[in-house]
Parts: sequence; structure tokens; C-alpha cells
Amino acid sequence: MKEYGYNRWRSIIPRLLVFGIFGILILRVAYLQLIDGRYDSLANDNYLRYVVKYPPRGEVFDRNGEYLVQSKICYDLMAVWRDLPKGGIDTLRLLEITALSPKRLEKALADARMSPRQGRLIAKYLSAEEKLQLDELNITGLYTVPRTVRQYPRKIGGNLLGSVGEITADMLQRSSDYYAIGDYIGIDGIESAYEEELRGEKGLVLHDIYARDESSDEIINHPKPGKSIVCTIDARLQAFAEELMRGKVGAVVAIEPTTGEILVMASSPTFDPDELVGRERGNNYMRNLNNPRQPLFNRSVKSKYPPGSTFKLVNGLIGLQEGVLKPQYRYSCHNGYDYGKIHVGCHEHSSPLNLDYAIATSCNAYFCYVFRNILENKEYESIKDAYDVWCDYVDSFGFGRKLESDFLGEGRGYVPDRAFYDKRYHKSWNALTTLSLSIGQGELGCTPLQLANLAATIANRGYYYIPHIVRSIEGQDSLDARFYRKNYTKVEPQHFETIVQGMWRGVNVDGTCQGAKLEGWDVCGKTGTAQNPRGEDHSTFVSFAPRNNPRIAIAVYVEHGGFGASMAVPIATLVEEMYLTDTITRPWLVDYVKQKQINYYNAYDRKRKK
Amino acid sequence: MTARERNSVRLFAGVDRVAVILYVVLTLVGFASIFSASWNETSDSPLSLSHNYMKQAMWLGISWVAALVILLLDSSVWHKFSYFIYGFGILALLSTLAIGTTVNGAKAWISLGGFRIQPMEFAKIAIALATARMMSEYSFSLDKPKDLLRLGALLLLPLGIAVLQNDLGSGLVLGSFLFMLYREGLNNWLCVPVLFIAMLFILSFVFTPVTLLVALIVVFTLSAVMMMRESWQLAIKYVATLFAVSIMLHLLLNLVVESGTSYYVSLLTTTILSLVAVIVYAFRKSLRALYIIVLLFFVSIMILPTSDLMFNKVLKEHQQKRIQSFLGLVSDPRADYNVNQSKIAIGSGGVFGKGYLQGSQIRYGFVPERHTDFIFCTIGEEFGFVGSLALLLLLAAFILRLMRMGDRQQETFGRVYCYCIASILLFHVLINIGMTIGLMPVMGIPLPFISYGGSSLFAFTIMVFIAFSLDASTRRELPTYRYI
Repeated sequence: MKEYGYNRWRSIIPRLLVFGIFGILILRVAYLQLIDGRYDSLANDNYLRYVVKYPPRGEVFDRNGEYLVQSKICYDLMAVWRDLPKGGIDTLRLLEITALSPKRLEKALADARMSPRQGRLIAKYLSAEEKLQLDELNITGLYTVPRTVRQYPRKIGGNLLGSVGEITADMLQRSSDYYAIGDYIGIDGIESAYEEELRGEKGLVLHDIYARDESSDEIINHPKPGKSIVCTIDARLQAFAEELMRGKVGAVVAIEPTTGEILVMASSPTFDPDELVGRERGNNYMRNLNNPRQPLFNRSVKSKYPPGSTFKLVNGLIGLQEGVLKPQYRYSCHNGYDYGKIHVGCHEHSSPLNLDYAIATSCNAYFCYVFRNILENKEYESIKDAYDVWCDYVDSFGFGRKLESDFLGEGRGYVPDRAFYDKRYHKSWNALTTLSLSIGQGELGCTPLQLANLAATIANRGYYYIPHIVRSIEGQDSLDARFYRKNYTKVEPQHFETIVQGMWRGVNVDGTCQGAKLEGWDVCGKTGTAQNPRGEDHSTFVSFAPRNNPRIAIAVYVEHGGFGASMAVPIATLVEEMYLTDTITRPWLVDYVKQKQINYYNAYDRKRKK
Repeated sequence: MTARERNSVRLFAGVDRVAVILYVVLTLVGFASIFSASWNETSDSPLSLSHNYMKQAMWLGISWVAALVILLLDSSVWHKFSYFIYGFGILALLSTLAIGTTVNGAKAWISLGGFRIQPMEFAKIAIALATARMMSEYSFSLDKPKDLLRLGALLLLPLGIAVLQNDLGSGLVLGSFLFMLYREGLNNWLCVPVLFIAMLFILSFVFTPVTLLVALIVVFTLSAVMMMRESWQLAIKYVATLFAVSIMLHLLLNLVVESGTSYYVSLLTTTILSLVAVIVYAFRKSLRALYIIVLLFFVSIMILPTSDLMFNKVLKEHQQKRIQSFLGLVSDPRADYNVNQSKIAIGSGGVFGKGYLQGSQIRYGFVPERHTDFIFCTIGEEFGFVGSLALLLLLAAFILRLMRMGDRQQETFGRVYCYCIASILLFHVLINIGMTIGLMPVMGIPLPFISYGGSSLFAFTIMVFIAFSLDASTRRELPTYRYI
């Protein structure tokens, strides 16, 4: 019989097994602790956080040093679930202060519960008073984090200034590496155009999330505050223009011709930029987005309006430069221009008439002759070649292309090219086919900014500075070089005086826009009444003043405003008067403009496609 | 020598001082770790009994007193009362089914005035004592099926109760007795099948039944062929016949009957039929091993379909998830989270650790159960590889010391008992530390002497001091023993 306990192997093998088991354990521990280097950083990830320190965003001033955009402090309410009182909190009072819905609060607290040691966002955009009320409650585990948000003291220029909002996934994909989810970014307007200057540089801090104070934080980068910007806008003028445009759809753009600085850029309807700050941002944004009149659409730079008669200025200048028109040329007009079946109507005025009167009284027939002269110029092989030349001239005025201003989202407008007509008329077309272009109708489209730029170009007698919105940036001596360059049109300066004379006559002697007359300021202007298929004519007016050494060039466009003289002229003259004299001598005109009712057509009731 | 001196000497006479020192060091390391894991610097009253470390200190005191009491007792009481203690242990286990408290899904605890006691901790002592008593019977032999069955019944009774308690982890500890049984001369042919079936059970979660079936047939055939080594022609004939018949059967089934059955069905049928021939062959040549292989094959075939059933019926959902997660079959974020955080804590300790009370992962509570089941993380993070190595070496030394105590016992009872508790400790250490470093699935099994838990520390203390006491009385009787 086998004797237990005396078999050598029976006592050795268990020991080997013990050695084996402990050997494996030791090797595994050695692997984890000595060889596998991942765990150090994983451990750090558990409790160290890179905390981004957001810099205050730069402020925006108007040309007179008035605040357009300020940064104001607000507070985010955070909660650390672990530290919240065990007996529950006074949620009723909390709801009252934060104005959260019970559901939102419940969800936020549930979120906080998921990561009980970390501060979780409960409510955003608390005011200083609300913060004090919360401090009074003195709930452990609840604390507030200061943050800056935008504030718009003048409450003007919603589209112009833009807003600041959380970056979307789409924008994140397109933007540089600077941004991260949850970052705020300028959206639209100046906020977007000068995002890089305004935002500053984020700071970075390595933070022990369990340390209560920030003394243990290791600062990697200090945040650099954003640069402040002085923009070219005259806040008072902008507010006045917006006030005049209230209830109308359209835009007012005014430029200082000697610098290209944009004084006014009012798009109507507009919105209060303060609406897009804070808790109600989302709701207000959606409300504006669903508004059939599209307040978020910046008409001053994005629309494609037919320029109407204001475009006669361009055709006149081209005719003069080409030599097919002389100031003394007289054409007759009997209620319009007739050629074969073609009839372009005109209003009653004396006939025949010369160039400056044709401009002043806005004779359609005269410019039909001019346009035909340009296109049927024998110097060119064909009408189509002549049309190319015409397009080049128009392009040199900044039509049909972006002006390359510093304003993002600038529209091109539209000037049809030769290929367009070749396609539409199967290559058989001539000056009569495109005769609408002579009076700024047809396929032409331009932005109010382009029209204002036209006024500035004529005011300068042949050149323009690229219109821009920013005057100076903190810490920078100058702006981009392109804003200091004179952009000459292809029309030589000597030809402008005749046109200016016509514009002056139109305002001051016997033209369509005598309503724009300002005693002692020699205002020059040209009205436009753009026909459109959707309803009453668009009312437009380009103007500058004074005639010599002009200080302001302006374009006003009022959709369905009727004659140029009925809506656009009063608005323009009031803005000019305000700018030039700082006073309003015609309060009745202000009342007239404000009380003028415009019937808008169903075009605005079209539902947005979801 | 006065009577009083003799008494005080007698208390420690023959006690293995190395083992006692190891025990004391381990319990102190345990206390220090628990202190680190539950120390809260902001507490107003650091000495309040509400703190885990103060509770543990109290239990440490109680355990040391109990250890002295056990050394005072005559070691023969353990032999005398072993069955009585076993009966008491079984009663205590059964009582949990009636009045037990449920902790972590296991109804294995009894609440006694603010403290929770896990009767299984104490029942292990009783089982070890009873096993030792049974195996030390004069006529007991591991080669006798009757004795094996008796022993099996002795072990399966508490195991069954543990399963009912839903405390499978503790129950599995009894599986570690195989270690002791091997030492006691359990037939290799019984060790191998047990391990084989255990492996099959685990593999059945990983592989599809068909894969396993094919593997089984191959293993069986190869084993059978190995057994026929006297005649290799016969082996080749056997395999060739097996395949030829199975292919013919397959063709018959599919071409003639068009039943569309799988080839494996034919192969399995043929293999099972061939067993008759194999058994006849084994009988003629009196190859006992071949019987066992055939038996094992049958058991395996039976286990295959039932393993899923057992997995689903016996194990609770969270246990299934842990096992599946460990085997990499499904991802259980919670089970993964515990092990990941534990690995991060240990791995970030590096060579020398972050210093006592400086471990960020422990301090900030990333490791769940950091003072109980995952206490090893505290040592791993704060003392690094040096500390972990030292602890592992201490534990290994302690277990080896217990085995040495067993080997030098004059009585079978003492030897079996020492090996029993060495097996229990080895199992606990392997599962617990293996779990913290991702080698073992997560089971609620404490690290002896280190993990927080009064009843655990108390029970382990009694357990090892019974061994010390048995060892001391043996050594006192040795002629070479010198009184101190």
C-alpha cells in the first residue's frame, strides 16, 4: 500500500506550482509597472484636465469711439454631484433663479450624477444678480464660473455686427485647428470677418480636477485677450438709417468716398443683436430664421437688386469714354424709345434733350440710344465684341463681382456675360435684345454696396477705395494694403464731370430727385425705379454730397418702394443731412418716411424649405 | 523555572516564529493599505469607529487575541471536534439562506449588530478540519472509490450551499482542494479529467459546439491511439476505419436518404459506435487508462450541451457578464471599468510607487472596492513594483511556510489541514491579485490578511493559527526540539 507523504514528487510539484503561480503574478505586475508605459498617462487623464482659459473677446467701437459691441460678464452654474448636500437641494428656488424648466434641471442633474466628481454645467448665462442670489442659497457643490458674453449697447446693426455662438460641427470641420467643440466663434458680420483679431488666444492650464482651489494649476499658456476694433460705422447714423428703414425691406449703404470707409450699412428688416446672446439665443435665432422677411439676410451686401435707372450713370460714362456719346448729343424722346416692335417707355419731359438733362430727368430713350451706340460701335468687329468691352467697363466699376471688402459673405451681384446671351438666344442677339441693360433692368443684379460704391466712384471722379468696415485694429498700424489703393475705372476722370453735372441738376434744378436737395450742400444724385415681376417697383437712389470734396456717398434701396423719389430719396437725404449737418431740419420728412406704408406681396410669405 | 515562567514559555513553545512574523507583517501591511485607501484628511474625528481603518484596527486586535487563545488551547481539540465544527459550519451556511443579507448579489452574509459576517469564511476552517479528519482515518485511501465519494460529499455539500447563496466565488475555493489532494496522492487519472472538464467548460463559451466536438473527437482518437501503442498497425487501422465508415455513413445518409445531415453527425455516430470496440479492446488488454478516456469522452459529450444551460442557470447575469468580458466575448463596461482602473492604478505605480498616501488613483477613488477586493491596487500604486514584489514574496513565503509545516507534521490530520489552508490561501491570492492585474475574471474574493473585512481577517487568523498550533505541538514532541 502506498504511504502518503513520502513520494518526493508529490511534495515538489505543489511547490513548483506555487512558484509558477507567483512567478506569473510577479511577471504580470512587472509588465504593468515596469514595461507598459501607458498607465502613467492614463492615470493622469483620470484626474488632470487641460482646462482652456478663454480670453475676453475684443470690443468693437464705432468711428467716434462709441461702443458697438462690449463684453459683459455672465456666469455658468456648475454642480459637483458628490458635494451636493445629501438631503437634496431646494430645487424650487433654483428653478426660480435660473429660469430653467424642471425637465432641463432634472436632466442636468442626472448628467452631473454620471460623473459625480466633476463640475457639470447646470445653467448658462446667469446674470450677476442671479449669481448673487445663488450665492445666498449657499449650496455646497454648486458654484459659478465667470465667462464673457457679447453685449450691444446701441442694439443696432444685427447683420452688420454678427453674433457669437457655439461652433457647429460643420464649421469645426472647415476651420483651423484652433477651435474645439464648445468653443465660441463669430458668426456673420464683423464678428466673423475679424474673428481672428477679436477672439484673442486661448490659454491652457493643467488642472487637478479634485483640487478645490486653482493654486495647484500648472499654467501652460496665458490667454491673450482679443484686440479691440474701431469700425468705420457711424453708430448714430446707422441707428438713424435703421430707424428710417423700419417697416420697409431694403438696405442703406453709405461710404466716405475719400477713404472707402463704410459709414452706414443698414439692412432691413434687422434684429436686435442682443437677442442672439444668452439663453434665448436658440429660440430667437429660429424665430428670425423662420421670419418670411428674412431679417438674418444681410441685404446690403448679399442681395441682387436690379439697379434700375441708377445704372444709366454707368452707361453714360462708358459712352463718353468710348467716344460714342458727347455731352452735347441730343436725342429726342416721345414717351419712350421705339424700334420695330420694341418699345421702352418713358415719362413726359421736354424733347429733344442732352446728356445732363437726360440724367437729371432719367430719360429712358436717351440711354437706349447711348447703349446702342456703344454696342453698335464700328470700331469693333461685332456687337458681341463691343458687348465684351462694355462688360469690362462694368466690371471696372465693381459690378458683377465681389468688391473684396473685408466683409465676409459679400455677394457678387450679376452682370450677364456674352456666353449667357449666346446660350439664351442661341447666339443670335444684338443691342436691341439686350436693350434692358441700358436702363439697369433685365438680368442685371447688384448689391446696395456696389451701388454705394458707384456713387463713391463718381464722387471721386473715377476711382474708388475698396469699401471696408474696419478703421483700425488695436496693435496694428494699418489695415490691409488693398484698402489704401485707388481703384480706377476704365473711364477717364474728365468724363465724370458731365455725369456729376447731370446728377447735380437732377437734385438742384429740374430732375427727378429734387427732394434730395440740401441747401448749401450741392447734393448730387440719381434715382432708380426698378421694375420687377413681383409687385410695385423697387425704389432706389444713389447720391453723394457735396458736389466738390464729397464727404458721403450713399445708396438706398427700398423693395417695392415705388418711384425712386418716393421712398429712397427721402431716406437718403435725411441720412445725408444727419451726417453733414448733425441736425434734422425736416421732421415732417422723417414722419413721412416712417409712416409710409408699403404693400408687400406674397413673395415674402413663401415658406422656408425645411 | 517557575510554573508561571513555564506557562508563558509554553504559550509560544514550538511555534514557528517565521510564520508568526510573516503573519504579523502581512496584517500590518493590510492595515496600512486599508488606512491609505480609506483615509480622509478632511475628517473631523479621525479616531471615530465609523472609519474603515478604525474598524479594521479593532478587528486586528480581536484577531490577535483570538490567535493567542488558539495557541493556549490544546491542539488535539481540533481533531476531536472537527466534525462537530463542520456541522456547525454547515448550519451557519444554511442559516444565511434563511436570514442572510444580500451583498453584491450574494446572499452570503449575516448581519450581527452593525457588523456583517460571511459564514463561508469560517466554514472554510470547518471544511478543512473535517477533510483533514476524514483523510486521517486509518483506513482512508484516495484509491478507494467509496472514500472518494465520502470526501466528495463532504466537499460538495458546502459547495452546493454556496451555489444556492449565489456566492459561487467562495464555493470555487473548495476546488483548490485539488492541490491538497494531489499532495495526498490523488491518482493522476483523476486529476487530469477534473482539469480537463474544467477547461472544457471554459472553452465551451469561447468556441462553437461543433468546433469543440471535432476537437473532442480528435483528442479522444489520439488518446485512444496512444493507448494502442503496442500495435501501431492497429492504431492506423482504427483511425482509417473510423474515417472510412464515417464517410460512408455520410454518403449513405445524404445520397440515399437525402437527409441533409452534417458530416459531423456521421463522424460522431461512428466514433461513439467505435467505443464498443475500444472498450472490448481495453478489457482484453486490461488497459485501465482507456476506460477513463472513454468515460471522459462520454462526460464531455454530455457537458457540451449542458454547459450553456449551467452557465445561464447557475450564474447570475453579472457573473456571466464578468466571465464573458474576461474571455473577451462581450464588452461589459462596468466589469471592464473596474479592471481597467485597477490596472491603471497599479501600472502608474512604476518602480518605486507614488509614496504612501500619495496615490492619485486611490486618493480620488477611481478604483472601485479599493479597500476590499482591489486592495492590491493601493500597494501597487503607492509602493510601485518594489512594494508589489515584496507583498507577493511575503505571501509566497507564507504559503510555502504552511506547506513546510504540513510536510513536517507527524500526523496525517495536521498535514492535510496545513495543505488545505495553503490551497485556500493560494487560491485567494491567485484569484484576487490575478483579478486586479487582469489575469482572472472579477470575483468577490478577498486578499487574505490584506483586504478590509473583519470577519475575513478574523477567520483567516483562526485558520492559520490552528495550523501554527498543530505545528507547535508536533515540534514540541520532537526530540531535537529545544525550549526557548
